Amino acid sequence: MKELRFMTEFQHLQQVADAKESFERANPGVTIVIEQSTDHFESKNAYLSDEAPDIIESGGWALFNNKDMFVDLNPYVADAEGLEKDFYEGPMRVARHNGMLPGLPVDVSIPLIVFNKEMFERAGLTFPAEDWTWDDFIEVGKKLTIRNEQGVASQFGFGIGVDIEWYEPFVFRNGGSYLSPDGSTARGYIDSQATIEAIRKMIDAYRVHGIIRKPDEPSEAGQLHEGFAMIFGFMWFTGGLIYHKIDDKFGVVGLPKMPGGDQSNMIYMGAAGIISKSQYPRLAWEFLRHYIIERHSWPLPITRSQAKERGLTDHRLWSRYMKELDCVRPSGYYLSEKWNSSRQLINEDINKMILNGTDVSQTLRSWTRFA
Amino acid sequence: MAFEAEDRASTANKAVPAGMTSADRDQSLVERAQQGDTEAFGELIEQHRNKARGLAERLTGDPHMADDVVQDALIRAFMHMGSLVDTSRFLPWFYRIVRNQANMRLRRGGPHRKEQPFVSILTSSETNSSRVDWEDLDSILYHLARTAADAATREHDPAEHLLRKEMYETIHSLLHCLSRKERDIFKAYFFRQLSPDEIADMYRMTTGSIYTYIHRSRQKLRKEHVRVSLGLLPEKKEGSGLARHKLLEMPAWQADPPIMSTFVSNIGRMLAAISDQWEAAEFMGVSTFAFRMKLSDKTTFADGIYVFDWRAVLQELMKEIGYEISILCGQLADSPVPLLGAVERFPIVLRIEEAVIPFIRKHIDVGKPVLYFDTRVTKPYVHEWSVIYGYDDGARVVHLTDPMLPEGKILSYDDVTDNPVRFLAGFGSKLEQAAGKTARRSRETRAREQALRTIRFAIDYAKNGCDYRPRTSYLNYTSGLAAYDRWIGHLQNPHIAPNRYGMGQLSAVYAEAKRYAALYLRGVLLDGEAMRLALLASEAYEQTADAMDELSRLVPFIRTSEVLSPDMREVCVVHLEKAKMFESAAIGYLEKSIAITAGEEGNGQ
Repeated sequence: MKELRFMTEFQHLQQVADAKESFERANPGVTIVIEQSTDHFESKNAYLSDEAPDIIESGGWALFNNKDMFVDLNPYVADAEGLEKDFYEGPMRVARHNGMLPGLPVDVSIPLIVFNKEMFERAGLTFPAEDWTWDDFIEVGKKLTIRNEQGVASQFGFGIGVDIEWYEPFVFRNGGSYLSPDGSTARGYIDSQATIEAIRKMIDAYRVHGIIRKPDEPSEAGQLHEGFAMIFGFMWFTGGLIYHKIDDKFGVVGLPKMPGGDQSNMIYMGAAGIISKSQYPRLAWEFLRHYIIERHSWPLPITRSQAKERGLTDHRLWSRYMKELDCVRPSGYYLSEKWNSSRQLINEDINKMILNGTDVSQTLRSWTRFA
Repeated sequence: MAFEAEDRASTANKAVPAGMTSADRDQSLVERAQQGDTEAFGELIEQHRNKARGLAERLTGDPHMADDVVQDALIRAFMHMGSLVDTSRFLPWFYRIVRNQANMRLRRGGPHRKEQPFVSILTSSETNSSRVDWEDLDSILYHLARTAADAATREHDPAEHLLRKEMYETIHSLLHCLSRKERDIFKAYFFRQLSPDEIADMYRMTTGSIYTYIHRSRQKLRKEHVRVSLGLLPEKKEGSGLARHKLLEMPAWQADPPIMSTFVSNIGRMLAAISDQWEAAEFMGVSTFAFRMKLSDKTTFADGIYVFDWRAVLQELMKEIGYEISILCGQLADSPVPLLGAVERFPIVLRIEEAVIPFIRKHIDVGKPVLYFDTRVTKPYVHEWSVIYGYDDGARVVHLTDPMLPEGKILSYDDVTDNPVRFLAGFGSKLEQAAGKTARRSRETRAREQALRTIRFAIDYAKNGCDYRPRTSYLNYTSGLAAYDRWIGHLQNPHIAPNRYGMGQLSAVYAEAKRYAALYLRGVLLDGEAMRLALLASEAYEQTADAMDELSRLVPFIRTSEVLSPDMREVCVVHLEKAKMFESAAIGYLEKSIAITAGEEGNGQ
C-alpha cells in the first residue's frame, strides 16, 4: 500500500478529488491524501517538517524558486513520448526560467483586452483589430468614456486596477522591462527610457485622457462587466462572463501595439511539483500527469492536445487566449522575490503618480531599490 | 482609537508632517533604517547619493573608482546603521565612511591591487616604509614594528614626535578589544620591540604561536579601528560589566487561560509586566477585539483573524491607554511570508541580526518586554503574537511566551533574525496627560467616552465591516455580521472544501471574543435606559458565544486534515445562523443605546 500526500493552496478541490478517485481506481494499492494549506508559508513549513507531503500545489511561483525543494520534472517530461511537443511553449518557458522544471503549471491565466461590443456599436466604432496601436487604443478609450456635467463617469473607456504587475505587458511591448533577465537588478531596466515611456503612457491614460477610473474616483459605471467598454481581462474574467452567460456581448483582442514593437505578454500561474523528499517521485509524477495532462482539471490547459480535445482552439473567446499563451515571458515577480514582495509598496507609489502627479521618471528611478 | 486607525493604513508610520526640515526627515529615515527598513535606507541614499558620489570623485579623481567607493560606503553604512549613536549626524557619518573608503581604494592603488598582507608587513624592507598613513592601522602597526633605532632617528622630527604620541594614544584606546594575553604579547612586540623568539621564551610558547597571537591581535585591532573611526558603538565585551543577559519576570495576567486573541493577550501580559494590570474583558473591549470577526473569502482558513493594520492598530491602542510604542517591522524577501494581507506593505528588510537583537536588548535592559510575532509557535498554532522577556548573548537565545507552553520557550538569535515576518514592538515612556480641561475630566467621564467609542466601533464594524483591506487583488476578506454569511456560504458551497483546521481556530477564537464582548458590555459605565440596552446586548452576546461554543465543540481547534462531512456542515450552519441572529440583536440594542445617549447629550446641551 502506497500513500501519496498532496498538499494544495487552492480551495476548489473537486477536480483534484476526482483525479484522486480515478487514479486510485486505476492504481490499486495507491491512496492519495489531499491536504490544504493556507499559503506558501504553511506549504514551506510542511516541506521542512518531518511529515512533508509528496506533492505541493501552490497558487504562485515563490516556492518553485526554492533551490532543492522540488524534483526536476524535465527527465520525466523527456521520457513521456510526445509530451514536450504537446506543451504550449510560453508557460513552459516561464516555468523553466531557472533551468529546471520544478512543477507543472496550473491555474494559467493571461490578460487580453475584452471589449463590450454593444458599447462600441453605440458609439459607432468598429471593433478593435489585432494590429491596433496604443494611440488607437487611447483615442477609442476617450470616445467610449461617458461623463456627466459633474465629470462623474457612467462609462469608462478602459478598466484596469492599479497594479505594477498589470502594467508589465505594456512595458514589455514597448521594449522595456522591470528587471534584468536574471532578476538580479532593476538598475538600467526599471529606469530605462522604454520602461519610463510605457509607464508614463499608462499614467497619462488615468490623468490626462481620463479613460481609466482613478483610485477612489466617484463612479456610476458599476462593475467591470457593466460600465467599462474595454477591460484588461484575465482568463478568470472571461470565464466569469461565460459562467454568467453574458459572453455574447463581448469580444476579445490582443493588447495594443506599443512603439517598442515587442509582442510579449505576462502570465500568472501556479504549479504542482514533487517534493524532493518524496519516497515515490515516479508515482507522484504519474499522478501529476493524470491530474494535469490527462484530465481536464484547469480552465486553460497547458497542452495543445487537451485544448483541441476540449474545443478551446475553436472557441470564439478561448481560442484567442490559447494563441496568446506562446507570447508570454517571465515577469519581474518570477525573477526576484524582493521585487515580488515589494509589490504593494510600489503600488502605493503608482497611486501617488496617478493622484498627485508625482514625477514618473524620478519615481521609477527610486524603484531600483526594490530589486 | 483603533477604529479610526485602519483607513490610515498606508500612511501610518511613514508620514512626514508638513514643515519637517530635511534634517528631521533624515533623522526619521535613519531611525527607520536602523530598524532594518531598507526602504528608508533607500530613500536616504536617493537623497545623498549624488553628493556622496561628487565627494568620492573629488577625493579619487576617478569617476569609475568613485562609483565603487560609494557602493562600498553604502554597504558599510547599511551594515553598521544600527550602531550610529547620534541619528541626527547621519550625513557627516556617511561622508566619513565615503572618505575612508576612498582613502582605502587610493592606498590600494585602485580596485585591482590587493592589500598588503600581514606577513609582508612583518618582513617588508624599508623601501615602502618611509611614510606612515596615520588613518590606517596597518601602516601604524608597521611603523611600530620597525626597529627602535630607526624610530629613535625619527624622534628628532617634532612632527613625527607628535604623530607618534597620537599613535600610541590611538593604539592604547583600542587595546581593550584584546584578551589579557593577547594584549601582553602585543605590547611586548610592538612597544617593547622584543622579537617573537624572545616573547616565545618569556611565555614558554613556540615562536609560531607568538606569530599567531600577533596576527590575531592585529586583526582584532584593525576591526576595532574601523569601528571607532566610523563612530560606532564599541562591542560589548565579556566581563565589561555591561548586561549580557537579562530575564524579566512575567507575572500572570488576569486572563486565565490566556485570551485566544493573542495580539490582545500578549499586550495585556506586557502591561502586567510593567505593573499596569488590565481586566481581561475591559482590555478586549478597549482594544475592540471583542467585536471583530473576519473571514477569508476563499474558504474557512483562519488567516482573517490576523488581517488588520498591525502598526496602526497597535499605535492607536497604545495611544488610547497612554503609552508610546516603538515598532520594528519588515518582511524578508527570500522566504515565504505568512499573512500577506497584513504584511504586504511592510518594507523588505535584510536578514541582519544587528537590525533585530539590539532592539530586544534595548527594551529588556530597561525592564520592558517586547511584543513579537512568532512564526515558530507550537502546533496547532501556525503563527501567533508572543512576548520576548529575556535574552542571553552568551547562549544567543531569547526567552519568549508560547500559547501552548505555559513555562515559555527559547528561540535562537538566528531564529529571530530569520523570521520572515519581522514585527517587534516595545513600550516607550508613559504619555503625559494633556494639561487643562481634558486632564481634569473625571475617570468616570473618560471611561464612559471610551465605552461609547468602543460601542460605536462595534456597530460600525458589524454593519460595514473592517476598513482595512489588503491591496493584493486576490486576498479578500469579509468582516462584521456579513462574515457569518461568508462562513455559511463556505459550508454550503458544493465546489469548495471548508478548511477544518482553520474552522477550528476561527470557532475557538471568535466564541471567546463574543464571550468577552458580553462581559465588557456588562461593565460599561452608561446610565438608565442606555445601560439597560447595553445589558440586553450583553445578554445577546452571551447567546452568540453559546452558539459559537457549540460550533467550537463540534470542530475543535486541532491540527487535522480530516474533511468535514456534509452532515457536519449542515449542523455547523445551524449554529452559525443562530449566532448571527443573536449578534444582530445585540447590535440592534447597541444602536438604540447609542441613540438614547446621543439624545440625552443633545438635550443636555
